[in-house]
Amino acid sequence: MKSIISIDIGSTWTKGGLFVLIDSDLQLSKKFAVPTTQDNLVRGFAEVLASLLEKEKLTPLEQMVGKAEVYFSSSAKGGLRIAAIGLVPDLTLQLAKLAAMSAGGKVVRSFSFSLTKSDIAELEKLQPDIVLFSGGTDGGNIKYLLENAYKLEDARLAAPVVYAGNRAVAEEVVEIMKSKEVIVTENLMPEVGQVNIEPAREKIREIFLKRIVNGRGLSEIVELFNTQPKPTPLAVFELVSAIPKFNSDWSDLAAIDIGGATTDFYSNTESFLETDTVVLKGIREPKVKRTVEGDLGMRVSARSLLDTGRIYFEERLKNMDLNLEKMKEFVEKISANTGYLPKNEQEIELDRILAEACVYYSALRHAGGWKETYTPQGKVYVQTGKDLRRVKAVVGSGGFLAAELCGETMRRPLEKLKNFGDEKKLLPENPVFYRDKNYLFPLLGNLVGKYPKEATTLALASLEIISDEGMKK
Amino acid sequence: MEDKTRREKDTIILGVIGSDCHSVGNKILELFFTAEGFKVVNLGVMVSQQEFVNAAIESNAKAILISSLYGHGEIDCQGFRDLCLEKGLDPIILYAGGNLVVGKTPFAVVETKFKKMGFDRVFPPDVDLKKVAEILRQDIKEKFGLDSQKTKPDKYIQTKENL
Repeated sequence: MKSIISIDIGSTWTKGGLFVLIDSDLQLSKKFAVPTTQDNLVRGFAEVLASLLEKEKLTPLEQMVGKAEVYFSSSAKGGLRIAAIGLVPDLTLQLAKLAAMSAGGKVVRSFSFSLTKSDIAELEKLQPDIVLFSGGTDGGNIKYLLENAYKLEDARLAAPVVYAGNRAVAEEVVEIMKSKEVIVTENLMPEVGQVNIEPAREKIREIFLKRIVNGRGLSEIVELFNTQPKPTPLAVFELVSAIPKFNSDWSDLAAIDIGGATTDFYSNTESFLETDTVVLKGIREPKVKRTVEGDLGMRVSARSLLDTGRIYFEERLKNMDLNLEKMKEFVEKISANTGYLPKNEQEIELDRILAEACVYYSALRHAGGWKETYTPQGKVYVQTGKDLRRVKAVVGSGGFLAAELCGETMRRPLEKLKNFGDEKKLLPENPVFYRDKNYLFPLLGNLVGKYPKEATTLALASLEIISDEGMKK
Repeated sequence: MEDKTRREKDTIILGVIGSDCHSVGNKILELFFTAEGFKVVNLGVMVSQQEFVNAAIESNAKAILISSLYGHGEIDCQGFRDLCLEKGLDPIILYAGGNLVVGKTPFAVVETKFKKMGFDRVFPPDVDLKKVAEILRQDIKEKFGLDSQKTKPDKYIQTKENL
């Protein structure tokens, strides 16, 4: 028997689980959470660890070493903030954003073509954790890359720069950017349309370990427990990647994680099914994909959600005794107090509609679409983005969806989205909705590297099917 | 394998424009121009103007070769040169070929039309491809010189000064 502890230092809560491994059977034995201690992340971590190990609350970290295997992830202090630079918006910039998000990062700002003075000023103000710098195919464009390299060199930026552009000028870029730490990796798009985001993802992960961990004051944990943290979204990404590998029935799945500040959408399914009547335009997206939306969230981002989601809210509230004014009041209330929990029927309903909008807009941006075109050869569909039609299971995770018993919250917005303007959105056709009932996805994501089969099996065992009936409970 | 020679292949963009799905000729062109020593970026069928331009920017292409078989080429190609200029692809070479217009318009008329639209060369459906490759090499040499990375030193200096 082995005791394994996994802790996630989130932006608002530090949550942990004690797991017991007997042979190849992994079970959850205890969970505990405290508010994240913003001034010193280690304090909250220690408190959770102490509780899981049944020690005194203020037990020093050193005294807890060796009692269990410890794994952890962190998305505290803004998570992993990445600025993405590409050349053409639909090609290398799109890939830069995908690579950043799949590495567990949050794209704080993205830039295409030449960086302007105000772009540089904005970068200096944002001070991202990492700058992902791409553009050009191998042997392709160099003009914009060299120009931007000079501009970045002169910018007051502390962040390391991951260079994943045209390899023909990689050395030159390093030379130009003498005062910056430049890490060169393979081109995100070596040929037009060819996707190669793994090497850049790997470099971002390495930088997270080397630099970000120190910056967030987490190195003490790393040294004492001999464990490497992950950005929280990367933990979930790895879990979603691993599930079908060890559980063949789960070949096509998606997960939605609505948090206070962001909404994450993960999918694991082939992005394009080649047929005579469908033509793919733009890049062929990766099989496992994560997108994260910084303007969609239940609390910290509630105000921006209200702006983004205005159309959804207006339509949704039309036939109810609620209206946009009531929603605004509610959003003001929860923005002022982000720990607020709904107190009455009406607030519960408003909270649920906020979640629906998060699902709606995150799916809109994650999923691809078809447009009908008539050609002399007949009707043809032009596909852009990723096809999610074959997704059989949609899992709700994150504080809100993990506790949500009503399948409608995910089903309604996805149904509504199927036709968006003149585009048919390629959403899951007939999915079963689940909730991650113990909110274990991030915690198990931390274990998936070492215990892939055990962690994915437990992740699936802790899913619960939710139906539209749930609302009546 | 690392290519040790400094001289790199010239990149050209191929594609069938508009709502045109004719894919066979497009595949032949890809094979042919690759064999002729060009680096071919083939965008396939149903390619929009913006896609041609995007691919040309990323890959630093020297020429865009547009095919159209279904007779709507004229409408599909309108404004293509303007878009290239807007996007900073000033020196790019533009070719168009195929059944560019509907009906029995004499080729000379078609050619004038497309040249007016800013295409450097226009080819009928029955053109000898060997000849096209030869002309293309000549045109590239004229516009860009022998060094395929010719734009590099100028832009480089320009960039430094601009900053």
